[in-house]
Amino acid sequence: MNLKKIQAVCGFGCGSSLFLRMKIQDILKESNLEAEVFCGDIGTCTTVPCDVIFTSAELAEQIMNRTKVPVVPISNFMNKEEIKEKTLLFLSESL
Amino acid sequence: MKESKPFETFETRGGGLFLKEILQKNHIRVKEPAATWEDAIRRAGSVLAEAGSIKPEYIDYMIESVREYGPYVVISPMLAIAHAAPGKGVIRNDMSLITLSSPVNFGSENDPVSVVLCFGSIDPTSHIDRLTRIAELLSKESRISDLACAGTVDEVITVLNR
Repeated sequence: MNLKKIQAVCGFGCGSSLFLRMKIQDILKESNLEAEVFCGDIGTCTTVPCDVIFTSAELAEQIMNRTKVPVVPISNFMNKEEIKEKTLLFLSESL
Repeated sequence: MKESKPFETFETRGGGLFLKEILQKNHIRVKEPAATWEDAIRRAGSVLAEAGSIKPEYIDYMIESVREYGPYVVISPMLAIAHAAPGKGVIRNDMSLITLSSPVNFGSENDPVSVVLCFGSIDPTSHIDRLTRIAELLSKESRISDLACAGTVDEVITVLNR
């Protein structure tokens, strides 16, 4: 099976993106879904192979025109409902 | 005389890392006065600079990174995560948490900010366990607004341990 690769992106790939990665992983686990979730930084994220980029609204604007993969803006990295909706939507559309 | 500990610490319930392993009690400050977002980051960063965990210039790097990449560090309503690139200006992995006497705006849709979590890490990975654990503690429902209302450091600890 081909696991989808979800890249959670922040400025340096080691701060807020960790919060986001953790939430996405929780949601996948709860929903019995599998995907590879990893952190990336804004500088290099577009050169790292992945199927989708999850990031903040501000950073999404800066990334969107540099990559071919979908960029999903997340307003609140602590809001499970928002992240769940967007994660499940991506996975269902990319089947 | 009681046996002295290097730092005043505290316990938390539950599995995983203990709160005291992540955040020292004397690295928590409440109701800090800050007029601007830069001020808020400086105050959170000064705690780590005073502890000798970061060099003072790391505080400037944190502020520069917000100027460069925007206010995305406000990851959730009321909460900003202040940090800069791993390594440069960092002496050891450490974390501070401050609440503000009056909220400040970062220019984010999640404004205004009342809680600032600040950290420095020596490399891109060695702080991940501790940051993940604090993220778990912070992400429980209404946790951030309860922290913002806390009047003392002990209340902050009570909220985090709840």
